[in-house]
Parts: sequence; structure tokens; C-alpha cells
Amino acid sequence: MSERARKIAAWVVTLGLVATVVWGFLAGEPTESDRVFALGARIKCPVCQGESIQESPSETAMAMLDVVAEKVEAGQTDEQILEYFTDRYGDGIRLDPRFEFRTMLLWLLPAAALIGGGLMIWSRRRRPGEEPS
Amino acid sequence: MSALFGTLGTWAALAFALVLTVKGFLGLSNPARSSARSLAIPAVGLLVSAGVAMAALEIGLLTDDFSVHYIANNSASTTPFLYKAASAWAALEGSLVLWGLVLAAFTFFIWRAMRRLEGPDPLWAGALGVMGVVSAFFFFMMVSVSNPFEVCTQAGSFGFGCEAASAWPFSTISAPLHGLGPNPLLQNHPLMAVHPPLLYVGYVGMTAPFSFAMASLLLGESGDRWLRVTRNWTRIAWIFLTAGVVLGGLWSYEVLGWGGYWAWDPVENASFMPWLVATMFVHTAALQMRRGVLQAWSYALVIATFSLTILGTFLTRSGVINSVHSFTQSAIGPVLLWFLMAVLVGSFGVYAARINRVGSAPRLDSLASREGMFMINNLLLGVLAIVVLVGTLYPLFVEWRTGDQVGVGRPFFDRMALPLSFALLFAMAIGPITPFRKASPRVVWERFRTPMRVSLSLAALAAILWRPNGWILLSVLASTFVAGTVVRQLWTAARKGSAARGGNIAGEALATMRRDTAFWGGQIAHVGIAVLALGIALSANGAVRGTVDVDEGVPVAFAGFELTLVDNFERDEPNRILRGAVVEIRRGGDLVTTLQPRLNEYRIRGQQIASPAVDTGLRGDLYLSLASDPGVFPVELDLYWFPFIWLVWTGGFMAAAGGLWAWLVRPPRRKEAAIPEGAARV
Repeated sequence: MSERARKIAAWVVTLGLVATVVWGFLAGEPTESDRVFALGARIKCPVCQGESIQESPSETAMAMLDVVAEKVEAGQTDEQILEYFTDRYGDGIRLDPRFEFRTMLLWLLPAAALIGGGLMIWSRRRRPGEEPS
Repeated sequence: MSALFGTLGTWAALAFALVLTVKGFLGLSNPARSSARSLAIPAVGLLVSAGVAMAALEIGLLTDDFSVHYIANNSASTTPFLYKAASAWAALEGSLVLWGLVLAAFTFFIWRAMRRLEGPDPLWAGALGVMGVVSAFFFFMMVSVSNPFEVCTQAGSFGFGCEAASAWPFSTISAPLHGLGPNPLLQNHPLMAVHPPLLYVGYVGMTAPFSFAMASLLLGESGDRWLRVTRNWTRIAWIFLTAGVVLGGLWSYEVLGWGGYWAWDPVENASFMPWLVATMFVHTAALQMRRGVLQAWSYALVIATFSLTILGTFLTRSGVINSVHSFTQSAIGPVLLWFLMAVLVGSFGVYAARINRVGSAPRLDSLASREGMFMINNLLLGVLAIVVLVGTLYPLFVEWRTGDQVGVGRPFFDRMALPLSFALLFAMAIGPITPFRKASPRVVWERFRTPMRVSLSLAALAAILWRPNGWILLSVLASTFVAGTVVRQLWTAARKGSAARGGNIAGEALATMRRDTAFWGGQIAHVGIAVLALGIALSANGAVRGTVDVDEGVPVAFAGFELTLVDNFERDEPNRILRGAVVEIRRGGDLVTTLQPRLNEYRIRGQQIASPAVDTGLRGDLYLSLASDPGVFPVELDLYWFPFIWLVWTGGFMAAAGGLWAWLVRPPRRKEAAIPEGAARV
């Protein structure tokens, strides 16, 4: 096999592998099919210290998780169920804050740090025509 | 007696710390007064008096000296020996004594290393002065707002515990008959004896590079001498911090019974933030010592690391997490907050005033270089640190400004950390194979393609054979890629060496790793992090959870196992009553093991704590936790199956072991002419 053909073959195999992994990534099972579990992890246990109702063994948490299970059974959407708990316990019940005016900084500060840091690094490069260090 | 000796010890330590501060700063400003000899008395005195305080506390705990308020409320005569000793750090006042002792020990070791210098040195004297300031603050806490040696002046009701105390050791003592014992959660697992001290060594150790950085800034000394001097102390602190964080996760997994090891809880975040920034610092320090870039940034990072350890102490110890408004109930919160402010204003003030004198900013020849990759590392770790910081502080901030509660928990942190972690893994694979100055794409590709193809093949194979979910697949790809690039580099170097000298490959590989311990220690740590990441992905995404009611003798199927409740038991121990279930675990009819999840009722505090039972195997952990009284059938059990979760601990300890490699392994003695430092890597 000529050098050229060998190179082309290597590329074809590599691309085939990439395609297989991408297919595997897209076709894999969903991370957590159990909606009750996923929702439970997003609702704070009101009588505990920063635990979700999914994690906490307390009776309140268990009872709340049962309510979540009932509502999932009844076919309510995630947002409806979260809304139900937010109405009763306030916004503090959500471990996963909504994107709104009050929580904006929470989402924007990390983004700003990423962009600002990226610009800082970019500015460190030697511009054309400058002496090398 | 312990109160008297403890009080004497803390006051003496405070005095020595103040003397050290004054003499250290005198030495900083006047080179003639900066000899090790002139600092001998305060440096040695500080260690001795901190040691006396710690010994007084431990002896008091082990001899049940309930005339001391702290001991009466945090230990009991029925507490087992190990937990009596560990009660020294079961609450704030006692843990400060340990903190002070570790700080005094680091101060002493710095002074001992200074003695080996040839002459006086203002940098070292100044650094010891800064150590003196920090020590003085902590011992001031111990004699004022958070005194561990107050004597009990009023015993609690029925002779249990202590209700009122006085700092004056000769007050009229009314010692209770019984101590309350430590918080049940803190006397339920032997890791309690190990995890906090390790974490403290990590936290406190970061004071050493911070002190040298401040002294270097104050002197206006340019260059990286402060980094070279503190290189090993930084490594020690990083190793202990890493091990401490990993053991904290293991403790949570073994004790708390909810099946997890990391909850993004403020206390965990408080230990994770300094780790992130310290890791950034370890990287920039390595880069600066080699290429002289990022000088100003290294100072900023070490100041940030130190400030975050104080912030962590404030968050975990002031009660501010329960509610913003409760922290002023004790005086500790405001004192720590003031100290944090003073540290931030003072150190960044010095930084701003001096940075033009010490920090040069040479531009990079190219961003496509090892230097550029180091910056990407800092960017990603830094953004992750900001995510954790903002997520931890935001609820407090909102509650303080508006009185409203907002929750920021696992879903938020997971969502933000996931993409950053994968970016970090890929950067970790590519960074160490990228040449310095300017990387030609051809060289990078040459080093990159084989590991990439191997990890792609492994991921493709996993996708076809096993059909795992996407995150597992991506982790397999990223982790094997990291490990692959490291192995390839070691293999290439070893083969070259064996061709040149005729040694065998394994011996040459070891010799390569011993020649440049800083680099290869880092590579071991990288592989450790890759293993950790794989463990997190496999155990989290492959987990099976369930709750079942089991009746005696009726088998229940779970995750390929068959569980049968065969018995229950009740056992009396001096400090607690254990009640548990005996569950036989079978797989395909063969008995695998017998697990005994239990409830522990601590007599004095009357609290019930569940102890999960875990069977660790190569394929994963079967984790059982009682959800109901084991004496009443059917018994409710929480069941978990975590595939390959042992990779999490293994990877974490491997990362710490990388630090140990860099710290302890010495390069081999060479007969031929010495190669210039760092020549082994390209």
C-alpha cells in the first residue's frame, strides 16, 4: 500500500470511529428516565440543610416525594409540578433557580468571567511586529 | 488542670505570635536584623505553647475533665477512645486549637529551613512576620470569642453538660457529672479522626506561600524566589487539601446514608474553592518558575487561595448558612468577617501598590503553546471556582438584601460544572504534550494522534457493545485520552532512553519519572483526575436506586442481586444502642456477603443515626440503608447500586499521590554529565 493510501485509510477509520462515538452519544439511554428522581433532586427539603427531597431521609421529604410521584403519575409537566411547590413554599424551594431578574447575576457572572478571562488571555499574545520575549 | 494549662498555652502562643510579628517585620525592613537567630525565641515558643494548648485539650478529653466547658459539651466518659481524641475538632473552639498548632508547626518548619540559609534574609523574616500576624489572629480568637478552655461555672440539668462558663481559670468551678459527647454524626465513623486534620493541614499550609508572597511584595523583590522557596510547602498543602476533600466525600458516603458523596453543600464548597484556586496556583507557579510569565497572576492566586480558606472558615463556622441573620448571634461570625475584610483589603492593597515593581508582563510568543494551555487551565478552573463561589454566596446575598430565600443546589452546580469539567479533561490531555513557546501543529498532532485513536476506538467499542448513556461515553473518551497521552509520552521517553543506554523499558520509564518529579508528579495527578472523572460518570449515570419493604425470609430482587432479610439484632455499647438488620446478598444463588445496615441510638443526646452497609466489589458497590425500625417487620430499606464508584476514591488518592511524587521522590544520582533541569520534557 502506498504511503498516500495508508494515510487516507487512517483518516477513514478515524472518521468512522468519530461517527460511531457521536452515534453512541446521541443514541444512549437518557441520563435519568425516572422523572420522580430528577424532579426530587430539584426540590429542596424544607426541614433539612441544603438537601433535596430526593436525598433526605426525613419524613417531610418522603411525603413531598410521594406528592411528586402522584403528580407525575397524573401526567403533569415538570414545570407544573415545580410551580405547585413554589406556590406553597416560595422560590426558596427550588434548588435550581429560574433565570429571572433576581437570579440573573448567578448565571451571568460565570459567563462574564469566562469571556473576560478569555479576552485577557487573548491580549497576552505577541502582536505582529513586536519583539519576541 | 487542662483549663489552666490550655489557657496559659493559648495566651503564651498569642504573645509569641505578636513578638514574631514585630521581629519579623523589623527584619523585613532592616536586613541586619533578619537573621534566623533573632527569630528563634518566638518561632520555637509559638510551637511549644501551641503544643501545650493542644496537649491540654487532648489530656482533658481523654481524662474526662468536665470542668472544661468545651469538654463537658463535646465528649463523654462513655465515648470510645478514638472519638474522645477526635472530639478536639468536633466543634469550633477545639478545632481552632488544632488549627493553631498546625499553623505554629508550619511557622516552626519555615524557621528551621531559614536556619540553614547562609546569612540573614529579609524575605524569610518578613514571611515569618506574616505567619505571626495570622497566628496572632487565631490565638486571639481562642482567648476571646471562641475560647476552648473556659471552665464550667454552671453544670447542666441532671448533671449533663455545661450551661455557663468563664474564661478565668480560677473561677468557682461547677463541673457536670456527665459530658454530652460529640455530635452523633461525628462519632459514627473512624474517618472523623482523619478527615478534619488532613483538611486543616491543607488549609493552613497555604498560609506559607501566602506569607512569602506578601513578604516578597512588601520588599518589592522581583523574580520567583518566593515560589522556589515555598515549592514544597505548597505541594504539601495541596496534597493534604486533595486528600482531605476526597476523604470528606468518602465520609459523607459512609456515614450520611443518602448514597452520595458530594452534595454541593456550602461546607463542601468551602473546601472545594480553595482546592480549585490552589490547583490554579500550582500550575501558574510551575509555569512562572520555568518561563517567567504570569508573575503578577501568581501573587493574586495565592492571595485568593488564602482568602478563600478564611472565607470557608467564616461560612462553615459562623452559622451564616442557616440564615444570614443568625450569624451575629455569636461573636465569631463578625470577627471572622472583619479578619477576612482585613486580609482582602490589606493583601490586595499591598499587591496594587507593589505589583508594578515585581510583576513583568512579557507577552507570549504564541497562544498555541504550553504557556497558552496553562492559561486555558487557569481560565477553566477559575470559572469553575467562580461558579462555586457565586452559587454558594448568592442565596446569602439575596436573603441579606431582600429577605427572600432562593435555593441554589445540585442541579445548578451540576449543569455549570459538567461542560467545564469536560473542557478541563480535554485541556489536560492536550496541555502537557504541547511544546513551550510556539507549538507547531505537526508536533502536537504527532504526539496526539495515537492516544486519540486509541480512546476513540475504546469509546466506539463501548458504544457498540454496551450502549451506555452519552455522558459515560464522553467520560470514557476523555479519561482514556488523558491517560493515553501520558502513557505515550512516558513510553516514547523510555524507549529513547533504553535505546541510548540499553536498559529495560520499565527501568527507563521509572528513571524518566524520577528525573523530572514535578512534571511526572503532575502527570500522575492528571491520570488520577481522569480516573476520578470516569468514576463519577459511571457511578452517577449507572446508578440503580430503590426502596423496598423486606419481610423475614422473603427474597427481594435488586440490580441483579437477591436480598433476603434473615435476622435482626440489638447490641448495647457504652455510648449507644445498635439496632440493625441482617441481610444476605446472593447473586445467581451464591452467597456474596451478609450486610448489616443499622441504626445507632446515642444515649445521651438521644439521637438516631443510620449507618449504611456497603459491599464493595470490583464491579461496584451495593449500598443498603435502613429507612425504618429494624425490629418491626417488614423493614423498609433504601437500596443503591453504584457501578465502579471505587474509581472515585482511587482517582482522588492517585491525584494526591502525584503531589507526593513531586514532593518526596528524588532524582537518581547520575554518573554522566547532568542534563540541564527540565531537559527531559520538551
